[in-house]
Amino acid sequence: MKPPPPPPTRPRIRRVPLPRLEVENFGPIKRADVAFGDITVFVGPQAAGKSLFLQLLKLIVDVSHVKREFKRAGVDWQGKFDSFMDVYFGEGMRSLWSERRTKVRFEGTEIDLPKQVDTKTSTKPESMFFIPAQRVLAFRDGWPQAFTYYDPGVPFSLREFSEELRLMISDLGTAETLFPVPRRLKDEFRELLQKHIFPGFNLKVDAQRAQKRLVLSSSGKENGGLPFVVWSAGQREFVPLLLGLYWLMTPSGASRRKGIQWVVIEELEMGLHPRAIAVVMLMIFELAARGYKVCISTHSPQVLDAMWALKHLKANHAPPEALLSVFDAPKTAPMMKLAADVLKKSQRVHYFDRDKGVSRDISGLDPWAEEEGESGWGGLSEFSARANDAVAHAVANAKL
Amino acid sequence: MTFKAAVEKTPNLESAWRAGLQALRAEDKPHIEPQDPRKLKGSVDVDAALLRAEPNANRWDFGIAYQHTNRDAETIYWVELHTASDSQISVVIRKAQWLLNWLRNDGRLLAAFERDIVWVSSGATTFTPSATKLKQMSQLGMRHSGTILRIRNSR
Repeated sequence: MKPPPPPPTRPRIRRVPLPRLEVENFGPIKRADVAFGDITVFVGPQAAGKSLFLQLLKLIVDVSHVKREFKRAGVDWQGKFDSFMDVYFGEGMRSLWSERRTKVRFEGTEIDLPKQVDTKTSTKPESMFFIPAQRVLAFRDGWPQAFTYYDPGVPFSLREFSEELRLMISDLGTAETLFPVPRRLKDEFRELLQKHIFPGFNLKVDAQRAQKRLVLSSSGKENGGLPFVVWSAGQREFVPLLLGLYWLMTPSGASRRKGIQWVVIEELEMGLHPRAIAVVMLMIFELAARGYKVCISTHSPQVLDAMWALKHLKANHAPPEALLSVFDAPKTAPMMKLAADVLKKSQRVHYFDRDKGVSRDISGLDPWAEEEGESGWGGLSEFSARANDAVAHAVANAKL
Repeated sequence: MTFKAAVEKTPNLESAWRAGLQALRAEDKPHIEPQDPRKLKGSVDVDAALLRAEPNANRWDFGIAYQHTNRDAETIYWVELHTASDSQISVVIRKAQWLLNWLRNDGRLLAAFERDIVWVSSGATTFTPSATKLKQMSQLGMRHSGTILRIRNSR
């Protein structure tokens, strides 16, 4: 008798391990273990350590670049790691790091950060672009300031962001338009931004007593413009973000800026209406589609709605137009391609629990999960759920 | 009046009362997790009991009574075990509307009890808790509990 044929074997899929950062006893973080996807979202209450974690990631991947920038600006920490922490994370932040207790592992390798800060010198170019939550401060007078303009107590992430934008727009002449401009962003993004953020306005360069500044001028009118101080809160928050996106989406035709692999965007929703947040989320998808690894911190339930939709659409092999319909975005060929690309990307969501000082992977975003951190989406949908329950109970027990 | 007595005096439910969760089908019982099963005061299969009287209605599934430690009277959990997807929301809403209407009429003795109208997922859940439709459900007095209804001793 012939032996039975062997069972069919599945083709082996080689999975690329996700980059992972593990941190212990760093400021408010007792233990964080974060695996990154192509898009990684961080949620959690204020002061839970999300921003510190992301700044630490920047320092780990770009320590040589950070040191070069400080040295170029004449910042001298005199070989003391404590002083370095104060200039990198901001004044008073030296206590984040405990020489004995803080431990950091990146991609499975123990990182001796004090040693790297002390000794590491290389010409490795910058690999992460960081758009900080305090980005509006970079535009205090309507024009980004130089790295050296800031007090050494200001966090590196803000000083560097401001400097990068300053260099990017320094060659622009007076009366030149920054938005809308051809070859900057997809046509669809330009139209959505004009509709939801700059209705009837152009973003232009203007000069007041020879000092350049950005103004919003009425479309079609040549003269005058509204200075930064009178813009809406959303416009003030969005313009630095827009310029950051310009920086990343180079007009040269390259999909990514040379050397840059990571992008951090903190609190992308600041000051924006949900329709505008939807446009920004689409632009973040564009960054992921271009091959950047994008990390976002947020307090917006809408961002998690988008991640939840992306997860389920992907799992159910939904067509690209389904994703675009979530954002009420036009179903043009470039947008369909963008949606199709994003549906192939990996995603993770991490919750930083301030009370316990730990991070939790809540990528399942299961509203019915046992774990409250996941079912309440890191606290972002708890309020809505409680409101629903309170109303349901009151209505159910009203006199029939 | 107890839940058992109210059921026995309700048209079409006269002999429908069962101890504990006995009125539920075997496959439905794992979806209900009472903290203390001894505090269960019985259950009733509304759907089956009213099949003959209202064959074409969107009948509700079950009623389950529980004696909470912080309540004098029993509380009735009106439970619908149903697929939880956006497309089914309108079906379950119609069932909840039927339940409320029935409680106003034949079920008025049972309407005197504190109640919780709960949709329990019979399978995977594929809608978001922040959806407008969940708010619509709340306004009808109904909530969704996921795949398990956990009944705590204290409400």
